[in-house]
Amino acid sequence: MAYDFSQVSVLIVEDNQPMVDLLASLLEAYGVSKIYSARDGDEGFEVFKKELPDLILSDWMMKPVDGISFTRRIRNDVSSPNKFVPIILMTGFSEKRRVMQARDAGVTEFLVKPFNARDLYRRIVQIIERPRQFVRSEDFFGPDRRRKRESNYAGPRRREEDDRNQNNSAQQVAEKLK
Amino acid sequence: MAANDELTKPHYNMKPRRKAEFMRPVNMLKQKVGSGGLSDDILDRAQKLLEENSTDFKPLAIVYLASLMNGINMAKGASESDDSEEVIANMLYPAMQLKANGGMFQYALMTLIADKLIQFLEVIKDPDIEAVEIVLAFHTTMEAVIHGEIKGDGGKQGKELTHALTDACMRYFAKHPETYIPQ
Repeated sequence: MAYDFSQVSVLIVEDNQPMVDLLASLLEAYGVSKIYSARDGDEGFEVFKKELPDLILSDWMMKPVDGISFTRRIRNDVSSPNKFVPIILMTGFSEKRRVMQARDAGVTEFLVKPFNARDLYRRIVQIIERPRQFVRSEDFFGPDRRRKRESNYAGPRRREEDDRNQNNSAQQVAEKLK
Repeated sequence: MAANDELTKPHYNMKPRRKAEFMRPVNMLKQKVGSGGLSDDILDRAQKLLEENSTDFKPLAIVYLASLMNGINMAKGASESDDSEEVIANMLYPAMQLKANGGMFQYALMTLIADKLIQFLEVIKDPDIEAVEIVLAFHTTMEAVIHGEIKGDGGKQGKELTHALTDACMRYFAKHPETYIPQ
């Protein structure tokens, strides 16, 4: 058994045409057959409403509407037909502050450019195999910004510090509670 | 017993001021693709497509370099009343595009140099004349990379160029110890 992407549709929102072509060829190599594209967030939202893609790959910096505003619109606009659609935001920024900004807008995964074929594939696998639950609060709607940790891991710990750090932090908490 | 009751009551028996609702949407992608992942063979083929794509990055790079030069000129002509962050952003965004796209189209050295420029722009407090001169040096180097069509990491020459630019940044920070404190 292997993944079959033949029924999956993807929307690429990117203002750089060579990059659109490159992404489309990567997706086709994965087996995706339905690929749509748009040049900015405004056009992207219209294509999204019409075609209802299963996945969106969006660049961050586009004019007039960038990837962050586009994501917010998908998650919050009353006319959005699927507020849960997974969105992978692609950007040259790798700073933590930028990642947080993207997460706060409702992005599902963050992909730093330049990337290779396996980097993009890994993000898609995360969405397929470890989907984030969604949160609706007063000021946010989008994928849970905390990545869930597996607490039932019973395998060997490969780094000694794991146990030491765990014990240390447990002791620190215990000290504070005294 | 009473203490245990308190533990089991939602929100510690207090009226919540804000509500967070959790939802687990249907995993449409999983339903469509099934299981098993993609083979290494498919991923290798995809990677080969990426590495062998023949798109000419030069025209795109020239647009981003022109935009960076605009940012540099605006920084040179900026007055004290101008917003420093905005002035820096005008140089930061084209630098980010050069970093992001260079490596996608075989210009790894361009990504490396633009990344060093971004790191410099993310640290400087004000775009003073010395800082802008350094940005200009980055621009000149990246222009040379594009016109010389230096693909890949540029080998020894690439390393020397990157070191020279990094040294210029370090000298700038060392010259202003009151403003820039190493982490």
